[in-house]
Order: sequence, then C-alpha cells, then structure tokens
Amino acid sequence: MTTDARTPNPHAALDDPSVLIEDVVRESIVEAVPIGRTERQAEFYTLRDGEMLLNMGPQHPSTHGVLRVVLKIDGERVVDIDPVIGYLHRGVEKLCENADYHQAICYTDPLEYVSSLFCEWAPVMAFEKLLDVEVPRRAEYIRVLSTELNRVASHALTMGWFALDLGGLTPVLYSFIERDEIMEMLTALTGQKLLFNYMRIGGVNGDLNHEFMSRLGDWMSRAARHIESNQGLLNENEILVRRARGLGILDPETALRMAVTGPNLRASGVPFDVRRAHPYSVFPELDFDIPTRQEGDCLARYLLRIDEIKQSLRIIDRCLHQLPDGPVMARLPRLVRPRPGRAFAAVEGPRGMYAAYVISDGTDQPFRMRIHDPSFVHLQLVGLMTPGNLVADTMAIMASLDPVMGGVDK
Amino acid sequence: MSVVGASWQRMSLTGRILAIAVPILVAVAVLGLLGVVLAGPIVAAFLGDNVPLVRFAAAVGGILVLTIPTAFIVIYMELKVIARMNLRIGPDRVGPFGTAMSVVHGLKFVGKEDFTPTGVDVQVFTMAPVVVFLATVMTMVVIPFAPGLFGLDLNIGVLYLFAISGLTVVGLLMGGWASFNKYSLLGGLRAAAQMVSYEIPLTLSVVGVVLLAGTMSLNQIVLGQSGSFVDWYIWKQPLAFLIFFIAGTAEANRSPFDFSEADQEIVAGFATEYSGMRFGFFFFAEYVNVFVMSALIVTFFVGGWTAPIAWPWPVDLSAVDPLGLGVGLLLLIAIGPVVGTIVCAVPFWLASRFSTLQALVLGFVVFNVLAILAVMGWAFISFDWVVGLAWFFAKTYAFIFVFVWMRGSFPRVRIDQLMGLAWKWLLPAALLNIFVTASAVLILNR
Amino acid sequence: MDRALRTRLERRFGERLTGPVRQRHDETEIRITAADVTEVVRSLHDEPELDFRLLADLCGVDTGDRMQVVYHLWSATTVDWLRVVADGLDRESPRVPSATFLWKGAEWMEREAYDMFGIVFEGNRDLRRIYMPDDYASFPLRKDFHLADDSSRSPGLGVRPMEETLAPADATPATLLRRSGAERA
Repeated sequence: MTTDARTPNPHAALDDPSVLIEDVVRESIVEAVPIGRTERQAEFYTLRDGEMLLNMGPQHPSTHGVLRVVLKIDGERVVDIDPVIGYLHRGVEKLCENADYHQAICYTDPLEYVSSLFCEWAPVMAFEKLLDVEVPRRAEYIRVLSTELNRVASHALTMGWFALDLGGLTPVLYSFIERDEIMEMLTALTGQKLLFNYMRIGGVNGDLNHEFMSRLGDWMSRAARHIESNQGLLNENEILVRRARGLGILDPETALRMAVTGPNLRASGVPFDVRRAHPYSVFPELDFDIPTRQEGDCLARYLLRIDEIKQSLRIIDRCLHQLPDGPVMARLPRLVRPRPGRAFAAVEGPRGMYAAYVISDGTDQPFRMRIHDPSFVHLQLVGLMTPGNLVADTMAIMASLDPVMGGVDK
Repeated sequence: MSVVGASWQRMSLTGRILAIAVPILVAVAVLGLLGVVLAGPIVAAFLGDNVPLVRFAAAVGGILVLTIPTAFIVIYMELKVIARMNLRIGPDRVGPFGTAMSVVHGLKFVGKEDFTPTGVDVQVFTMAPVVVFLATVMTMVVIPFAPGLFGLDLNIGVLYLFAISGLTVVGLLMGGWASFNKYSLLGGLRAAAQMVSYEIPLTLSVVGVVLLAGTMSLNQIVLGQSGSFVDWYIWKQPLAFLIFFIAGTAEANRSPFDFSEADQEIVAGFATEYSGMRFGFFFFAEYVNVFVMSALIVTFFVGGWTAPIAWPWPVDLSAVDPLGLGVGLLLLIAIGPVVGTIVCAVPFWLASRFSTLQALVLGFVVFNVLAILAVMGWAFISFDWVVGLAWFFAKTYAFIFVFVWMRGSFPRVRIDQLMGLAWKWLLPAALLNIFVTASAVLILNR
Repeated sequence: MDRALRTRLERRFGERLTGPVRQRHDETEIRITAADVTEVVRSLHDEPELDFRLLADLCGVDTGDRMQVVYHLWSATTVDWLRVVADGLDRESPRVPSATFLWKGAEWMEREAYDMFGIVFEGNRDLRRIYMPDDYASFPLRKDFHLADDSSRSPGLGVRPMEETLAPADATPATLLRRSGAERA
C-alpha cells in the first residue's frame, strides 16, 4: 500500500500493531442502526413495542439475486421494509467510459442477464443515433425476432420463479423447458448461451442460419400449445389464485408517480408500451396488441406476462413472414468517433423500459454511458406495497415485480 | 526397562493390537459364558413368566428398527416421484435406480460436525429433536400392522395416539425457542400454531369412527371393518375422511401446508440452527410422521390390514409337506437351484445375443426372482399376518404417494388462510360430522 | 423532431432556458439552471398541453468543469423525448432541488446520482448511498476519481472508514476536504 505525505493513510489505526483489531471493530459497530441518519432511516429504525427487525440477507433462497431486505415486522405482519442493494454493483457505467464503442456493448450484456439482448439494444440504438448510422431493414427484423424470443424466455423464467416463490416446485421446471429451447435457438444464432453479444452498431453479428431456423420452426409449431398446457397447471390453481389475487395492488396514479414501466404498469391499466408510445426499429410495421389488465395485483401481473408471451409469438410470426433480404450490418470502421453530442434511446424490455443515455465528446470512447434499468425503479415499489401484508407475501410481491439484480445494481 | 516394556518396544503394530485385544476378548468370552451358565436359567424363567412383556419389548424394538427403513423408503419415493413430476429423473446413480440415496443421506447426516451454536439453551436445544422423534415413533405402538402384529392393543388407543402426537408441538417449540435465532423462532411459532390448530379437527373427525366402531382400540376398529371393502368406514364417514386427510397433511407439515419449513421465506424454519444428526432426527421424524398419518388414515377409514375382497377359493396347502421328503429334501435343495438356473438360462441363450456365461448369470437372477416370488406367495397363502401386512403396506404407501404427489403439485397456503381453514371450515365440519353420526347411530340402533 | 414542441417550450419557459432548444432525431433538449428545476419540472408535469407525466430517467453528468443533472421525460402529446438538463452545478458542492415531490420513484435515481457524483438533492428524504458501502470515501463516477487504496487519494477523502459519517447535507467534497485538513492539522 503506497503512502503519500499529502494524503495521510486513513487506515493508520489498523496498521499500528499496538492497536487491537477488536477495539477498532468494536468502536465501529453500531447496533442495528447503520451509519447515516437520513429521515427515512430514522423513521425505519425506530422500533415500537412488539416490532422486530428481520433481515433477509443477501444470501437467501428466494430473493432474486443478491438483494438484502430488512423487514420491520410485528408478529407476522410487515410494518416497514428497507431493501438494500449494491451487492452486485460492477461499475458498468465507469467501465464503459474506458472502452470504445464496440467494446462497450459487451459490458452492457450482463446487466439484465436474463434478457441480455435488450440490454445491448438500447445502447446500440443510442450509438447509432450519435453516428447517424442507417441500420439495414433485414438487421432490424432480425433484432426484433431475436429480442422477442428473448422476451418469451424471460417471461417463462419469471412465471416459473413466481410459482417457486409461492412454494410450487413443479412449474419452474415446466417453464424452463420453453426457456431451454429458446436458449438453444439463440445459441445456434449467436454462439453464446446467455450473454449473447449479438447486436452491433449498425446491425447484428451474423445472419440467420439453418440450425436456428429449423429449431425456430419446430418450436413455433408447438409453442402456443405448450404454453397453454403449462399454464393449465397454475392459472386455475385455487391456492395460487388466493394468494396472489388482491395482493400488492398498484393503482395507475401511483404507478406513474413511481416511474414504473413495462408489465407492472400495464397490469395497472396504463397502456404504455415503448413499442407503441415511442416506436423504434420496425415496430410500426408489425401488427400486435398491447395487453393491459385493470386490477393491478400480483395475479394481474402474472397473467399479463402470459398475454405478452402470446403477443410475442404473433410478432415473431409476422417477422418471419415479412423478413426482407439484404445485409445484416452497416459497414463501420473499427474505431468509431461519433460527433460530440448526446443521444437517448429506449426499448421495451420484458421488465419495462430499458434506456441508454450516451454522451459523446468526439473521441472513440463514450464520455458518459448512462443505463436506465426498470428493475431498479421497480424495487422501490416493494417499500410501497409490502407494509400491511404478511412476511410470506413479501416474496410473492417481489416475484411478481420481477427484478433482476444485475440490472438493479448495474 | 522391564521385560514387558522391552518386548512392547520391539513389537509391530499388528502385534500390539493383538496383544491388547486377544486377552480382552478371552476375558469377555469367559465372563459371558459364566454369566449365561449362572444367570441364564433365572432370566429365561423370568421371561417365560412374563411373555407379554417380552412380546411388547420385541414389538417396540421392531418398531424402532422399522422406522429407519420406512423413512428411507418415503424419502426415496419423495425424491423420485417428485422428480418424475418435474420431468426430471431424480437420483439414479447411487444404487440400482438410486435406491441407496436415502442411505447416503443418512450417512451424510451422521458424518457431519455436531455443533451447538453460541447462545442457545443447550439442554432444550439437544432435547428438541429427541422429543419430536419420540413423539412420532411412540404413536406407532398402537397401530395394527396385521392380525396379531401390533405393539399394544390399548383399549384407549385413539386417546393415546392423539395425546402423544401432541408432544410434537412441544418439540417444535423447543427447537424454535432454543435456537437463539429470529428465523427459528418465527418458524417454531408458526409450526406450533399450525399443529395445535389442526389437531382439533383431526381428533374430532375420528370421533365419528369411534362412534361407529364403539371402541377406541385401533385393533377393534380395524376388525370392525373386516369383510370386504364395503365395510370400510370411508363409505360411512366420507366427510370425516376428508377432514382427517386435510388435517393430517397439516399435522405432518406437508405441502400445501408446509409453512413452517418454507425455505423461500425463513430458510429452514425451526430447524435452521440444526445440523448433522440433530437435523437428521427432525428430518426422519417428519417422514415417519408422514408414514404414521397414512397408516392412521388406512386404519381408521380404509380398513387397516383387511383385504378388499376375501380370497374366493379355499386354499389347502396341507398336502404339500416338504419335511416328508426326508433325504429328498436335501437333494432338492442341492440340485434345484442348478436345474432352475439352467432352465431359466435357456431362453436367453437361445436368443443368441448373450454368451453362455451371460445367459447363465441372467438365468440365475431370474430363477432367484421366481423363487422368492414363490416363497412369498406361499407365505401369503399360509400366514394371515403376511396377507395383512402386505395389504396394510400397499394401502399405506398408496396414501404416502398421494402426500408426495401433493407436495409436487401445490404451492403453499399462506398462514392466515391456513388458520382460517382450520378454525372456520374444518372444525365446524367435524362437529357437524359428529352430530350427524351420533344421530344416525342412535336412530338406526334403536 | 417536433417543431411544435420547441415552440411550446420556448413560449412557456423563454427566459428560464439558458440556451436554445436543441433537437436532433427524436429528442428535444432544454437547459435550465439548478434553481429553476422545481418550477420547470412542475410545469412540465402539471400543465395539460405539456403533460410530461412519465419520468424516464434521472441521472447526473460530470462534464469535467461542472456537474449536470439530466431528466428525460415522456409525454403523450409529443413524439419526442424531452431532455431537461439542469446545468452549471458547482463541482465541489453540487446541490439541486429534488424531484421526489412529483415522482416518488425518483428517490432511488437521486440516491444513485448522489452516490456516484456527490450531487445533493435537497428534499430527498432518503439521500444515502445506494451502491457503494455506507462508509465509502469517494464518489466513483466523477472524472477525478482515482481507484487506489479504497480511494485514499480521491477528492472525496476525509471520511474515515467505519465511523459515523456526516449527515448528507454536509457531505460534499469541499466540506470533507476541509474537515480532513482540520483533523490532520
């Protein structure tokens, strides 16, 4: 460890051999009250009679990744909740500032690793705006096709996980059949299993191939039926319905105030979908509906995702029929230097609006790469919807909001 | 240095072991012989005078020994059946078709480090698994497995049963409280609340059966259902059967009522701080409890060890008397397996896919299977307790399969919905059942 | 590129805009000062002909000589994204009014901007670190951030680890430097 006369070593106490580590550690432990005194924290950590703090730590069989949730409970009822994130923070935005534009795409993949093609698409769209690149139509169609497949896979995972968090062991494995097949398809197309690294500035990395098309054809012929039968296990199940109906109701006003987007917003009745509200790519040419539900509870969010899978199947079908010929990537130099400027691009991911805001200063590295992730915003809803419910419902609510910690923590 | 010390120095390791072990073994053998010779007759006389005591001790010993393989089988069923429902295979490497998996689990538990976390109440912590396990196993003393095969035919068998199974609650509370852990506390309280709530409908639903049978002795209840399947109490008490089934699932902490071990929420509930064989006791106790609940359903409602239909033709095996052959028996035992192996090997050899050696091996296996089946068939026909035992286990394992099936299919019911079900639905239904049954018995018996 | 939107914005906010309304592709950008944020954002949200009710993003930017807070908004009345840049924040002590009075969902976005840049949002009830540990001694996305020895050389230095930090209203870089100097004097 280097020391400098200008900046004295803040860990000097720890380096001094005469200072016992227990004394240093003891001084720094403050019981149950973290370091920092915001208003909200003071409110949260004041326990009234009979209340107890229960910590569902970052390692837990059920939180969707490394999420720490501190619950203030009164018996079985949750009085308040404080989600603590940051356990998966990888500094993606800072890393992208030190990489050039083509390399930055690889950094954005593992953000929402469950649906990584969307995580690439938004930044790539922003880069294309900065570079004024025209993306070939075939590439746009391939982008839509592959991302809609990824959406189906992501929703399948979400629905399986929702049932698992409620205690049903079987549906997750049934959903994973769908997800497995789609992942095999996308592996044939992109060469990667989970973090696809398929989008490029100006197109996609490689055209459709025979294996992908044959797997896709196979799957499309059974997909609708499979999904119906999988849902037959759960949708009418009395236990699931009784647990999810009326739980975690989100009304449209609150949803807009909390900057919620995606299925969580549409399940509350607001028909906002970036593909229709602010169309991008070739979505104006594709014929599909925006499913909406009015109840806004966990069951509505769950059922809405099933509706979205059906719409995605429609989109994939349309894409296959309307796929034009042509190149799949615009020609760009190896090192791109966009004009100095700013660009914002948003796509409709499976969890909500996924956006990228890129500032370029004329060099070959982005000056600022900002990723806006929907799961990050939606996790605030947990603090709104859980108080008043039981501990068991915490998991149900979180599962229905579908956060992916990679995106939350960036 | 003494002579002994010097020769000890010179001995090899094997020599040292033998030098210590052999004298000890000899001493033990001599003392044992002396003990048998001197005290043997006294002990034998005592036991001869108290045959019921001997019988009881043997029955209890048998039950204790029986619980472990039962738990193993139930665990294996759970692993395999749920796997198949999940479109997986389940364990299939560890033994033929993965059957040794449960055994390996048991060995794993025994091999783990046995620690007690800091801050726990050590005595209570240690006794909790014991209490839970014993409470479950003690109920098996009154269950009639076959005609004549039961631990004790208490004439207050039903009362004893539910009194003892109430001790499980104490054990769970002990485990949850002593663990010095918020998760365990929550889990223990949930489990205690659930079990106490469901004990009431459980007990009340059996009152109808007791009214019909006129006795609280389980053996008499089973005898009251003998005849054929139309005599089973399930037809006369369908509501009680349903209530008992649901309440039994909740008592056994099984899905969809496995709230106290919901590992999505509170890790492992009351058993969070337990590891090694302490957890093994909880684990086995749960599966033995599943067996006991199934056995109780079978005993009360499905006829116990009685067969659904009596064997229609009378079978008389007295003409076959193997001992009458004399020397011929010895020759049969010597030559029979060889001839049987060859006879069973011939089809395989003729199929010409197998070499002679492979055909002989397969023939040997097939002959053994056939011979065992023949012996079992003979036992089935000759001994009524074999028949009873076979039917009892068949029915019990059918219900265990249903329990496992439910675990693989249903999500979990929430705690307030669980309590609501017990107090608002099952309890009034059980009371209604008692009322109707009592009225029917009064009216029809007049 | 919505010309009508540009006209509406210039007419409504004329003198508050610190620069021309810039438009490119499907984005419209306006720049304001930190002091005007509350007024402008409230007008954009409440007025029916503007109706920017969806907050798409809230982030901080460090341009090297000053800090900015950038809001992206969406309205059903226009096809463009609206970008509102609250410019001219002092790099040593960046303060801006919070948007949580309109969008409660901005709370965590502002926490992230505080955590990464040190921008203090006045009015945010829960302004503490969100990604970095509570006792972290620097603000990572700043342009003068050095990652060495847990940021011991960074301008954010001055907060000793594992001890009580200052209340967020005082935890700006300048205060921290002053404090650390005083303690070491």
